[in-house]
Amino acid sequence: MRCDDLENLIEAIADDSLPLPAEDAAHVASCALCTARIERARSIESLLSVREVAPLPAAFTQAVMARVIQERWKAERAIDLGFNLAIAAGILVIVTAGAGLAWSLGMLSVTIDLDAIVRALDAGATGRLLSQVQTVAMSAVLLTMALFLWWWAEAASD
Amino acid sequence: MRPTEHELVERCRQGDETAFRELVDHYKGLVFGLIARSIANRARAEELAQDVFLKVHKGLPCFRGEAKLSTWMYRIVINVLSQERPELTTASLDDRDEDDRPRLQPAADDRAFGDLVMKDRLQKAIEQLPIQYQVLINGHYLKGMRYEDLAEALNMPMGTVKTHLHRAKRRLRHLLETEYR
Repeated sequence: MRCDDLENLIEAIADDSLPLPAEDAAHVASCALCTARIERARSIESLLSVREVAPLPAAFTQAVMARVIQERWKAERAIDLGFNLAIAAGILVIVTAGAGLAWSLGMLSVTIDLDAIVRALDAGATGRLLSQVQTVAMSAVLLTMALFLWWWAEAASD
Repeated sequence: MRPTEHELVERCRQGDETAFRELVDHYKGLVFGLIARSIANRARAEELAQDVFLKVHKGLPCFRGEAKLSTWMYRIVINVLSQERPELTTASLDDRDEDDRPRLQPAADDRAFGDLVMKDRLQKAIEQLPIQYQVLINGHYLKGMRYEDLAEALNMPMGTVKTHLHRAKRRLRHLLETEYR
């Protein structure tokens, strides 16, 4: 019974933070189990005290500073992107507003004559239109490739 | 003359990179030491230690200086380790869960404490402890972490820290008596 009571105090006894009452000390002196427990706890205590401190990796500070700069650069890039988007949106608004103003003043008129388009198609203009579609498609592919190359170059420079 | 902690923090907050470099130089031993004692993989430990300093750098503008810088860093270390090993974060810190385990009596002939094998067993046993116990033990036995700092970092009264430290060591002893014989 006393062994169980002492079990919870073994570590405090081992690191000398709890002076053992005389009665308990007498028990420990005659009890192999409690003595072994205290011995083991003292061994753990001394092993913990002499555990080696892991050697610091070389250039640790430089590595941290490099990551700090990288993080800052990412944040700045996000700000740049937001700024560019805002500029683009502004230009779009200005152009739309200008076009709207011109249209309301009668300086711009757009008429779409669907009948004329249909007639043109019927009249054999399909080939000419198709050749234009090919040109537009080729331009779109080239533009996409250019954008992809730009993106790749930006990612590679990271 | 060495700048005070407050001066260093203020300079960091103003974006002084040299000050932050000084801060890293000053605390890298403590941070890496704590993490490397819980994470066996050295490369991963280094990465996590770097993460701690990145979080410090990011959090410095919000650091009000109510706690010591080392205490705040200590909390970040606990968070980083908890994210790394979530299975050890939810583990109970009291003794109830180990009461159900079969306890073996210490072997009378086991006198091999102090040798390399025992160190290895001790390290493995420490890695099985809940993160808070690990950090408590690693922090206490690593130079520089006082009971007061541990109490502040873990938001516990100092007496509770001592109690938890004893429980942690008791759990270590039981692990060494059972799983790592």
